Amino acid sequence: MIFIYTGVLYPPCRCSAEHSGQRNTGHNLKIFHRQPVHPELKTGRIMKTLKTAVTLCALALGYATSAFATTYPLTIENCGQKMTFTHAPERAVALGQNTAEIMLLLGLEDRLAATAFWPTKVMPELEKQNAQVKLLTVEIPTLESILAVNPDFVAAQLPLLLGPDSKVAKREDFSSLGINSYLSPGVCATRKNTGDIYGSRDALWNMDLLYKEIADMAAIFSVQDRGEKLIADYKNREAALRKKFAGRAGNPSFVFWFSSASPSSDAYVGGKNSASGFIASVLGGHNAITSATEWPTVSWESIIAANPDVIVVSSLDRNRWALDKAEEKIKFLKSDPAVSQLEAVRKGHVFVMDGQAMNPTVRTLPGAEQVAEQMEKSGIK
Amino acid sequence: MSAGKLTSKLIRRTVLTLASLLLLLLMAGFAVGVGELSIPLQTTFYAIGNKLGLTAVPLNRIHETVIWDFRLSRALVAACSGAGLAVCGVVLQCLLKNALAEPYVLGVSAGASTGAVSVVVLGLGTGAVSLSAGAFTGAFAAFAFVALLTNGARGGSERTILAGVAASQLFNAITAYIISTSANAQQARDVMFWLLGSFSGVRWPEFTLVMTVVMLGLSVCLWYAKALDAFTFGEDAAASLGIPVGFIRLVLFSATALMAATIVSMAGSIGFVGLVVPHVVRYFSGPLHRPLLLASAVVGALFMMLADIVSRTAIAPQTLPVGVVTSLVGVPFFAAILYRARRKL
Amino acid sequence: MSISARNISWRIGKKLIVDDVSLNVSQGQTLGLLGPNGSGKSSLLRILAGLRRPDSGSVLLDGTDIARMGKKQVARRVAFVEQHGATDANIRVGDVVKLGRTPHHSPFSSWTVADDHIVTEALERVEMADRRSQGWQSLSGGERQRVHIARALAQSPVEILLDEPTNHLDIHHQIQLMRLISTLPVTSIVALHDLNHAAMFCDSLIIMQHGRIVASGTPDEVLTESLLMDVFQVEARVGVSPFHGKKHIHFL
Repeated sequence: MIFIYTGVLYPPCRCSAEHSGQRNTGHNLKIFHRQPVHPELKTGRIMKTLKTAVTLCALALGYATSAFATTYPLTIENCGQKMTFTHAPERAVALGQNTAEIMLLLGLEDRLAATAFWPTKVMPELEKQNAQVKLLTVEIPTLESILAVNPDFVAAQLPLLLGPDSKVAKREDFSSLGINSYLSPGVCATRKNTGDIYGSRDALWNMDLLYKEIADMAAIFSVQDRGEKLIADYKNREAALRKKFAGRAGNPSFVFWFSSASPSSDAYVGGKNSASGFIASVLGGHNAITSATEWPTVSWESIIAANPDVIVVSSLDRNRWALDKAEEKIKFLKSDPAVSQLEAVRKGHVFVMDGQAMNPTVRTLPGAEQVAEQMEKSGIK
Repeated sequence: MSAGKLTSKLIRRTVLTLASLLLLLLMAGFAVGVGELSIPLQTTFYAIGNKLGLTAVPLNRIHETVIWDFRLSRALVAACSGAGLAVCGVVLQCLLKNALAEPYVLGVSAGASTGAVSVVVLGLGTGAVSLSAGAFTGAFAAFAFVALLTNGARGGSERTILAGVAASQLFNAITAYIISTSANAQQARDVMFWLLGSFSGVRWPEFTLVMTVVMLGLSVCLWYAKALDAFTFGEDAAASLGIPVGFIRLVLFSATALMAATIVSMAGSIGFVGLVVPHVVRYFSGPLHRPLLLASAVVGALFMMLADIVSRTAIAPQTLPVGVVTSLVGVPFFAAILYRARRKL
Repeated sequence: MSISARNISWRIGKKLIVDDVSLNVSQGQTLGLLGPNGSGKSSLLRILAGLRRPDSGSVLLDGTDIARMGKKQVARRVAFVEQHGATDANIRVGDVVKLGRTPHHSPFSSWTVADDHIVTEALERVEMADRRSQGWQSLSGGERQRVHIARALAQSPVEILLDEPTNHLDIHHQIQLMRLISTLPVTSIVALHDLNHAAMFCDSLIIMQHGRIVASGTPDEVLTESLLMDVFQVEARVGVSPFHGKKHIHFL
């Protein structure tokens, strides 16, 4: 801590080679190395050091709102609690797949001590990075196992994993040990405002809370550049999709089929305002399901009555039911005497999507893109 | 009674009391020392010593907190819960004259699930009410419903059991309805996980509460131990011995409902303890209620502490629901008792 | 009057079970309650014991209305022995009889030597003193009944009400028990089926039919051939026994 302050209060402008022996001042000011310097290279090095130092001067004189580095101590307001960070965490624990994937997208695998709670497999592009991180369990972890990795920061996706009603841990458990905690903004909409601790279901989900989480993480870990890049990337991709599909006529209706216990059982579908509804709106349409519940179960009769223009079948990693697999779902759609008569099925407007995209996570937009690709190929209007 | 007999009785009681305390201490110590985080035995001792003010050795902060704030509080809550559930079982089996009676027979567990779901899914209480408080309210609502149906415990044992079954069905149906019409998959999963039974979420405040409630409940039940004995041959026999049957039923049902509701609201639905422990203890202690209540409380406490230890270490880093452990451990015990009883007769 | 009833009526739903019954029993007397099944004997006994509240009429103990007395107070002088007192618990004989002392104790009052004597005496009276430590589940029906009676005796009652106490007993114990009941200084009301035992051991009899008293008085007065035919539907000849001097019924 002291060395960081030293770095700030004593701008490197006044540094000379003698100060090159200064210790590591933190990740973002890891400039000075304790190394013996060959006399012949000393001059060249001094110039290089001065150049870097000047740049750093400008940086160090910036404020905490600087886009490129966090000024610590950083105070974040999260779910009604204020957390103060004195340095970027080095041994973070991510509880929840989405939280972990956000951190991996921000390239923080070397700062992640462990993760837990993975309902599906990790995104293929993050597989290699994830392999470097210790996995506590894909199910709900225990408090002791989290503490066993000696964390200095714990971030969680769901109230089930962290919160007053959680069986895993409460925020006080960590704060009493001097460990900061963070709960995904999407799940801590104050209960007084909404009727439901999972956030409002009355309005269509959008990416704003996700962007806030990414921004918070980027600030905490002082990787704002990566965070902004990620957010911008997602925003661009969303805008691109909207643009491409806005012109389409007809405001097509979508049904997002998650899974069913058996072909004759009611189907689990994405609700009106859920992430599925968001995907539908991005793709220029709307969710045919009118239930405001996140995961309603509907009969095939209702689906036939809704007569969706597009059916999106989810592909799941888990193996609980035969219909988890996308192929099985498509098979059912084509073979069932009533359902196969649906226009969407006959026209082949059945598309496959990663099941995890139906949850309001970083996978939602890639899921939309997955569907968009197939929609374009099929030439849907 | 002769002086010799009195002394031997006194000696027997003292020995049993001391032995029980020792066993409880040992089990608590075992609970504190065992866990995923491997903490050296010395640290365990010093951590407790530090908190009690007996020692002042500087220790790893995480270790100290895990031992005192997490493991010890959890073990003590488990002990109180086990004792409470066992005592409830004893009293209900006597009053309802049914060997299969257990703490949730009056709808407590079903009511708790409805309360929990109302808070989590419907958002009742607009965030000011915690899940536990909701569960407790639901549990008591179910009990009130039963009391209403049986006209304030005026009805006989059979009628009370039927009312309890009706209440359980009703509240379970309400829970299912709420979940299927309003909950998202995550909420449903959350509530289910919560209901399965686990001591993971408890800390010192929960201990204070459950300790108070169980001590109170146990005292009330012990106060009426002789009255419970009078119920051995049924309510008419008890009435003919001067027992105010309606009043006693109301008081004791309320005491058991309070204990059961408190325990369910903090640890979920843990089955089998309230059903099996009274039978096992009765086999050794006989049917008289004063020794039965005390012994059941001790055995229940020991059993639950052990079950909790198993639940958090068996499939680490995951937690096994305590109810699963109690059933798995309890069933063989129960079978053994039945088998031996069969041979005797 | 040790125990008396004035115009007791009781119904379940619409059905009248006990219809305007009045009776008086003097101290120490043994009253036999007879009648075919369904005549209301059991219900009457329960009302007299204070276990059921009559819809009209009152029960008096030494002139005091039972409804005005505390339950414990009543239990200290009135003991009740059921027809089928069953339990699944393997409670010891001694502990069952000790239960009889319950009305004389408060929740934590201690057991005295006097209590012990009363319990032992009660067990000796029913010839079960040597079985004190035996478990309930290993007793025969008759033995259980005797223990129940010992429990009633342990209550130190002034009145004992017994609902068909000799049902499960062998003849030796039937006679012994009736003799015990009739010679006890307590007031007894016994519901019976055996008419000859009633004649031998009871000071007075009450015959009930359809909830009403159809006859009351001494066995001599009550037990007539026409009554036996009317109420019990049996043909019999009634005479005086040359052996014990009481009425004896010869069933044909």
